[in-house]
Amino acid sequence: MKLKSMLEVGAVGAASAFLLAACGNNSGKESSSKLVQWQQSANLTTLDASKATDNTAFGTLNNSNEGLLMSGENNTVKPGVAESYKVSKDGKTYTFNLRHSKWSNGKPVTAKDFVYGWQRTVNPKTASQYSYLFDHVKNATEIGKNKAPLSSLGVKADGDYKLVVSLTKPQTYFKYLVAMAPFYPQSESVVNKYGGSYGTNSNNMIYNGPFKVTGWTGTNDSWKLVKNNDYWNAKNIKFDGVKFNVQKDPNTALNQYQTGGLDVDTLTGKQQVNEFKNSKELHSAKGATTFYIEMNEKSNPVFKNANIRKAISLAIDRKQFTQDVLGDGSTPAVGYVAPGMSKRDGKDFTDDAGTKEGVSYNLAEAKKLWAKGLKETGKKSVNVSMLSDDTPAGKNTTEFLQTALEKLPNLKVTAQNIPFKSRLSRSQNGQFDMVVSAWGADFPDPISFLSLFTSDNAYNNGKWKNEEYDALVQNAEGKDANNAGKRWDDLVKAEKVLMSDQGIIPIYHQVTPRVIKPRVQGIQFFPTGSPYNLRDITLSNK
Amino acid sequence: MVRYLAKRIFYLILTLFIVTTVTFFLMKIMPGTPLTNEAKLSPSERNMVLQQYGLNKPVWQQYISYIANAVHGNFGTSFQFSDQQVSYLISSRVGPSLLLGLQAIIVGVLAGIVVGSLGAIKKGTWVDTTTTIVSILGISIPSFVLSILLQYFVALKWGWLPIAGWSGFAYTILPTLALAAMPFAESARFVRTEMVDVLSADYIELARAKGLSKFGIIYHHALRNSLIPLVTIVGPLAVNIMTGSLVVENIFAIPGIGEQFVNSVVTNDYPTIMGLTIMYCFMLCVVLLITDIIYGLIDPRIRITGKRG
Amino acid sequence: MADKQQELPKDAFEPLSDGSHLDNEKIAAPSLTFLRDSWRRLKKNKAAMISLIILILLFVVAFGSALIPSMNNVSTNPNLNNLPPRIPGIDIPGFNGTLVQGGQRVNAYTGAAANHYFWFGSDYLGRDLLARTLYGTRISLIIAVVATFFDLTIGVAYGIISGWKGGKVDTVMQRIIEIMLSIPNLVVMILLLLILHPGIPAIIIAIAFTSWINMARLVRAQTLELKNQEFVLAARSLGESSVKIAFKHLLPNLTSVIIINTMFTIPSAIFFEAFLSFIGIGVPAPAASLGTLISNGQKSFQFLPYQMWVPAVVLSVLMIAFNILGDGLRDAFDPKSRE
Repeated sequence: MKLKSMLEVGAVGAASAFLLAACGNNSGKESSSKLVQWQQSANLTTLDASKATDNTAFGTLNNSNEGLLMSGENNTVKPGVAESYKVSKDGKTYTFNLRHSKWSNGKPVTAKDFVYGWQRTVNPKTASQYSYLFDHVKNATEIGKNKAPLSSLGVKADGDYKLVVSLTKPQTYFKYLVAMAPFYPQSESVVNKYGGSYGTNSNNMIYNGPFKVTGWTGTNDSWKLVKNNDYWNAKNIKFDGVKFNVQKDPNTALNQYQTGGLDVDTLTGKQQVNEFKNSKELHSAKGATTFYIEMNEKSNPVFKNANIRKAISLAIDRKQFTQDVLGDGSTPAVGYVAPGMSKRDGKDFTDDAGTKEGVSYNLAEAKKLWAKGLKETGKKSVNVSMLSDDTPAGKNTTEFLQTALEKLPNLKVTAQNIPFKSRLSRSQNGQFDMVVSAWGADFPDPISFLSLFTSDNAYNNGKWKNEEYDALVQNAEGKDANNAGKRWDDLVKAEKVLMSDQGIIPIYHQVTPRVIKPRVQGIQFFPTGSPYNLRDITLSNK
Repeated sequence: MVRYLAKRIFYLILTLFIVTTVTFFLMKIMPGTPLTNEAKLSPSERNMVLQQYGLNKPVWQQYISYIANAVHGNFGTSFQFSDQQVSYLISSRVGPSLLLGLQAIIVGVLAGIVVGSLGAIKKGTWVDTTTTIVSILGISIPSFVLSILLQYFVALKWGWLPIAGWSGFAYTILPTLALAAMPFAESARFVRTEMVDVLSADYIELARAKGLSKFGIIYHHALRNSLIPLVTIVGPLAVNIMTGSLVVENIFAIPGIGEQFVNSVVTNDYPTIMGLTIMYCFMLCVVLLITDIIYGLIDPRIRITGKRG
Repeated sequence: MADKQQELPKDAFEPLSDGSHLDNEKIAAPSLTFLRDSWRRLKKNKAAMISLIILILLFVVAFGSALIPSMNNVSTNPNLNNLPPRIPGIDIPGFNGTLVQGGQRVNAYTGAAANHYFWFGSDYLGRDLLARTLYGTRISLIIAVVATFFDLTIGVAYGIISGWKGGKVDTVMQRIIEIMLSIPNLVVMILLLLILHPGIPAIIIAIAFTSWINMARLVRAQTLELKNQEFVLAARSLGESSVKIAFKHLLPNLTSVIIINTMFTIPSAIFFEAFLSFIGIGVPAPAASLGTLISNGQKSFQFLPYQMWVPAVVLSVLMIAFNILGDGLRDAFDPKSRE
């Protein structure tokens, strides 16, 4: 789901949610506000769960609403509105038993609200950009193409407190999906009441989560999450709420943090992180996000040559890049699928799939392969442009890569840094030679990464094609879908194929460094899906 | 006067129309749609999104409906904020920008008048030199550098004022100062030059010969006559402030339109870019018109007629 | 009064010798052209002369450094990044390679960096900030000068045509200018940059596109005044072509207006470029201008203040020098201030 910009900071968290230890702090004043003062680097664009597309919206929605299940520590799910759920043997039918809970307007949250919410997201009239997440739900794809009626969607209310979902094929990670915003319940009467202005400000909305959004006019730079007394678990919410403040200038934000204006601030760049290197206030949240280079095999056939692709990969010193240039705690890529996201028998996916191939640095070998590749393609020299975001990190990346890659003889790299959305649209239209892309997993399963590079996937911008890879991914989603062991092996193999053929060049896994004042404890960050959970925060005022 | 006004307003409308047209077609050349991940949508869903934004019609139809809507103050729906009207987006954020601009103009011009007249009265002394240096600095230091320095020293190091945000008068002081530097310097230079001229005029000599006090001469005669031409430069100064605020608002986290403009550029929010361009243009036209009218009213030598040279 | 013929002594008159009497009305000082006269007056203005010297120095250093290979190196060197200024032989905090980190002053030049001396420090990718600043100054100056050149050509041509032709042509051309004036420059520039491929040419076009108007207006006003003066009338009645009149008679008389305005256009172009680069739509990486350097430096201003101070000071000095020189030129060219 998440194409990431380097600017985007938010949905990245620790592999396991961490509790912040009380500690002596070394810097700055602390706020005495009853709310947790939290910095956001982008505006809230909507409260409509069907239309949310960015981390700011997901972070706010996840804490003001609740789905059937919710994200928990260590890539697990916890009961949300559903007290319990059952999966049929064939993995195709999910039955959720809902608890008795209330909307913030006092009305009960029922199974019908879920049916309505899901139908609304899938309905092409809503034009939700994330309706494809429902692709395993019966008839969802057909409804999206206007080929089936809305009522045929594979979700049914059995009374007020039981929800039955039928899938077209088994989907072991479906439990993670239902914790995401597009799967939240929505009240039909409220949607109808506000019509086009539903979710465009904090009043035109109702909430079933631990907090209510207040003070958001739709365009302003701050909004609050205040405790919702109608929440089913309200007695366990131990603080008053959070105030989000949009602060786009990282310097301004840090200045405010240091003078006590902010409790939570995302750091940007090496220097800011260095300053807090030894402080207990620094919390680096690993995300399931990988930054990688795609090479356009259509526009520039020289990239069809595997030796060329490998040479480029070998010329990149990822360790130096992450340590000296980024310096924000991001780690050198260990592969395409990010580590710390999915485990089997206690072993991380990257341990099983890990190859030195595809992510190591060896300039001598790179030059050798480069010469070989040039010979094979009959080229004397190669001129390519490299596309990336126009954010500080994006500029650092292209500047570093330019110098690194031009160590290969007769390779000339021109850098182009453009806004995130322009980068996306140019990637999708194939208007690039090389592009630095980023992918953040939606749910903790390797398929969230690996499905991208099948030859017909819309996000396979470089048009790399490998039949073995296609077959492996297809098996994982198809015939092996309900067999955890085989599925795992398929995915491990797929990753190995991708890396040994260098279909893409992974560079680094993003880490988001934050500073959090000691008075705030218990924030949970997640690497996938919802960016953070604020339900367990405790706030002490000295 | 009426004829003159009518003519000016006609040109104002013509200008806005041309600007709207040009911006509209410029924005049509640009790549990008409201979709973030177009690739994952089915064709019917994609069409639905385009239809919601009215982007599925031929360009000339889009143009006509855009103009028709724009006349009614409707500039379409933002690409960035879902379901949010551009006109609402702008109107809800214009307040802080106007307030800051107004404060900066007032502070800047008033300080400029004082400093400029001081320089002229004490022409050739160290006072003159100092005021000249100060006003040269004001023109030469970019507002973004000034903003950063003000924030770092006044707010962070010395802790006198809040660092950033928008919740009260104290929050407006630093951005106002950063924005006021330019109008201050410009008007100080302007007033000094005018005043030097005026002070050597015959009627000042006469006043002096009649034995009027120095203060009286400066206050009653020199100042008034030097200030009239100042009105002409206030318009351009207002523009400087409007555009200068793009960065200042960002640094001081002010929920204004300048900040929104930069943000829309970065997020390819074309409807908002168009709306803001038209609004900037409108504001500038109105400011220019008003300064011309004021100028005509306060300077009896200038008669506003339908004819302009 | 009775008039009596008086006898004059014979030697009452002396015959004039050679033609020396002609010297009596000779102007002793060498004759001065308008420009030379202005130059003489400019020389008396100390501040303007210092500014001129500073500008010449900056130009020479910025462009001269392009010839020195070590000053022209933009390749990155990440293990030498973010080093503070260190000048051999100077042991003043701020220039001895130390910086404050976590509240303590530490020597940053350790390990691989121990034998390096970055006079102005190094940037986030380990490039010499001195070299980068010179490079950035060069780019900024090129952009400003080229943009000003375009602005000058367009503005002067437009102004002369508009003023010379008069009538309907003038009216239409003035309306166009009025419309252009009612769109804020920066907005036009941003829109242009959105459409053009980002890069130095795009910025030059964007700046030139918006800044010629002022020049055109000034030149037009001056042309209108000159148009009715005798020498132009004379030239006209002698049958000179309009083009020739424009070049031979109008342009020389417009010099002062043009020069003064140029002096103010260059700094405003530098400023606009810096502004665009600062908000991130200016010079694309790895190229740099003073604006991009300030923008990069601003990000770590709290911790590595020199990274912003260096380019910011250079930018401000450039702006100040141009403005003072512009003021000086205006005074020098102004006939009213002739002594």
